[in-house]
Amino acid sequence: MTLKPIYLEDKLKEVQESGRLAYRSKAMPTWCPGCGYFSMVDGLPGALNKLGIAPKDAVVVSGIGCSSRFPFFLNTYGFHSLHGRALPVATGIKTANDALTVIVVGGDGDGFAIGGGHVPHAARRNVDLTYMLFDNGIYGLTKGQTSPTSAVGFHTTTSPYENSDQPLNPLLMVLSHGATWVAQAYAGRPQQLETLMKQAIAHRGFAYLHILSPCVTFDKTDRTYDNLGHRVRDVPADHDTANLSAAMTLAMDTSKPALGLFYRTVRATLADNLDETCQRAGGAVPKRAVG
Amino acid sequence: MMKTDIQIAICGSAGEGTIAAGDILRSALAGAGYRIIAFDAYPAEIRGFGKCVARLRVTTEQVYSLKEKSDVLVCLNDEHGIPHVGEVRDFGAVIYEANSIVRLPEGHHVSAYVGPAQIPYPVPIRELSERSTGAIRARNMIVLGFIAGLYGLEKEPFYRIIDNKFRKKGEIAELNRKAFVVGYESGEGTFKLDEVVFGAPTEKTKAVMINGNAAVVKGCLDAGIDNFFGYPITPATTIMEGLAREMPKLGKRLVQTEDEIAAIATTIGAGYTGARAATATSGPGLALMSEMLGLGVMAEVPCVVFVSQRGGPATGIPTKTEQSDLNIAIHGGHGDAPRIVIAPTNVEGCYICAGRAFELAERYQTPVIVLLDLYLSNRYETVVIPPTTPFEPNSDKPLSKQDLGPGYKRFALTDDHVSPRALPGMAGGMHVVTGLEHNELGRVNEQPDVHEAMTHKRHEKLRAALGFQNLNHYKRFGDDGRLQVGLIGWGSTFGECLEAMYRVREDGIRCAALKVVTLQPFPADIVAAFIDECDVVLVPELNYQGQLAHLIQAETARKVVRYNRVTGTPMLVEDIYAEIHRLAQARVSQAA
Repeated sequence: MTLKPIYLEDKLKEVQESGRLAYRSKAMPTWCPGCGYFSMVDGLPGALNKLGIAPKDAVVVSGIGCSSRFPFFLNTYGFHSLHGRALPVATGIKTANDALTVIVVGGDGDGFAIGGGHVPHAARRNVDLTYMLFDNGIYGLTKGQTSPTSAVGFHTTTSPYENSDQPLNPLLMVLSHGATWVAQAYAGRPQQLETLMKQAIAHRGFAYLHILSPCVTFDKTDRTYDNLGHRVRDVPADHDTANLSAAMTLAMDTSKPALGLFYRTVRATLADNLDETCQRAGGAVPKRAVG
Repeated sequence: MMKTDIQIAICGSAGEGTIAAGDILRSALAGAGYRIIAFDAYPAEIRGFGKCVARLRVTTEQVYSLKEKSDVLVCLNDEHGIPHVGEVRDFGAVIYEANSIVRLPEGHHVSAYVGPAQIPYPVPIRELSERSTGAIRARNMIVLGFIAGLYGLEKEPFYRIIDNKFRKKGEIAELNRKAFVVGYESGEGTFKLDEVVFGAPTEKTKAVMINGNAAVVKGCLDAGIDNFFGYPITPATTIMEGLAREMPKLGKRLVQTEDEIAAIATTIGAGYTGARAATATSGPGLALMSEMLGLGVMAEVPCVVFVSQRGGPATGIPTKTEQSDLNIAIHGGHGDAPRIVIAPTNVEGCYICAGRAFELAERYQTPVIVLLDLYLSNRYETVVIPPTTPFEPNSDKPLSKQDLGPGYKRFALTDDHVSPRALPGMAGGMHVVTGLEHNELGRVNEQPDVHEAMTHKRHEKLRAALGFQNLNHYKRFGDDGRLQVGLIGWGSTFGECLEAMYRVREDGIRCAALKVVTLQPFPADIVAAFIDECDVVLVPELNYQGQLAHLIQAETARKVVRYNRVTGTPMLVEDIYAEIHRLAQARVSQAA
């Protein structure tokens, strides 16, 4: 394969003209060089920009962890909350003001260990938000401990004699919880990631985007770019995204993670249902505006 | 005009309609124009023969608590009635089943326990119920009618309440009315021997009879609550239930969350967007919320948390009252996390504090805890709710155009330590709030001077809350000047403190009671000055440790005498009264 050369001048011009910079703050990402999370720094501004969502109308909510530092690198509204609590904070924001675009960013420990109790409820209520879960299978911010998605046999500082706990399957879980948009992306394929981010944000309802992301510092053996790059594949062309069982079957194949949209359906969101409650009670549903 | 001051207690098993009878009685009497204070005690189980007691004090003058001695006792059930016969005053009435449903051994019937000075009224309650309705279920209506007939009360208010209470149950309302009439005739035809006399009720007022939690609901609605998030827990649940009925009618949103952590997290999320948001819980839920409250403090997000205390720790005694969560309300959580804690002392106070809590939360950009307890949440009082809301719709510090822009400082250090806040959706206001220490821009910063300045800001802005004019942070009742005994009280027990104080003054003891509503920030100067005027200060509380006493001693460096009960029941006026006398006497003998 011949690589097309990228010239710095052209790239700078392209970025400046794109409008993406309006979504970036001056703070530099604090991640290690090569971290998979860099894919979202460019991806999310690109997706928001293409969707025409102004920085003032977006709120990026996170919990605690390496990926959760993301809001600081953006020039949108941001809420860097507590470990595991990004989803309920985002649910509160969305309940109070529908007009905001709410994006939740977090890691596997934040979302599926300490915050695991909130995921089913955000999904079943179909809160209209985008949940981008960066799964690196390790606790990076505390320097390399086992996470709920770490593989069996993985060595970390808290499992020096091998991790023996069965990892969770987040995709399978959110599908069963009732998420209305479920997809998987890989940090090593930033263009596809940006496209999926765009679709996730555009989806009305609980959109779950699972992003496989290598931790280059604390995982030298398992989810490296080399290993993942060889294992990932695209969602088969004949996959039916309206078929829940087919999506679950796809999610169960963790040896060759599929990238792309697994499942999509349309259901009333939490806000829709709350408005309907108001109508049933005989109350007027007030118009909700931004700001 | 003759004064009326009558206390009636109805006791029976869960499922016998004890609480319902008490509810109809107090509603009818409130409707007739009497003042009411009522409190029900019930078990943690819905059925299964646990003891229920409905107590109501009916007066024409302002009173502040229940009495130790009841004037009338109704026993729907021998086993549960017997321990309460002793609480009936001399020449008061004991009404009980003449032909007990359960075959009891000799001497195990209520009749064997009625004292020589008490007046027994054996009533064939079951028989009258069967005769009037064909079932024994209407026994509570029989005794209700019996009381009304015996004391010559108007029937109309009772009919209104019965019809309204059972309006959705078809013929049940009709049957209950029938039972009431049969009971009424029975009471009317009985020789009246007790000394209980109802005077005429006071002039009709605009008063409504509601309990503390209903007053909180009304306060929230009148303050324009936008969002409520909650998780069911006794005794706070009825706040969420009340709001769940009313908020949708106003187009407002309420969500039942998956747990208390989610409840406070969603509340903070909503508060961050500028909404008036609240949650309600009890001690166990507050424990779960403690970390999140710290985030509310750090991120300076307005939110209101209603906490109705019950007996603890762990699951404790969930349907009994206690005041043992003052420490966690003020200090709960890690780090220097100051928040505002206010505690109403009566039902009217619940309304006021509920509404003002939203103003305080906005004005000082902080979590506000409104501390209630089961006794206050479930206690009914006749109160007058203002026809138009007394609460301000928006108490935010004004934000000017100049504040906004690329250099917008969400956490600007200002003279009053409150920073004008931009809300999501506002152009030029983009910022990140975080639980990490941050600089004025909201950027993560762990420099020594920044942490010191920001911690100082978060504490100092709350100190100013004592100057907030819309709330009476404390109030003194009783004698002015030098006092033999001073009382300092908080929450639901303050009514008992007041009653005891007024009684010892009649005995010639110079006494006053200081009510402390705002417990954090603590009005230390006022409390210290009060203590300095007293020979001795008594602090009655429904907790073991003396949590307010601790706070007073820590904040004022002055000694107080504790009086603590953890019976799960309200404080008794008589106990405080006796304690004041003991202290006054001790000072006299000391001086001699």
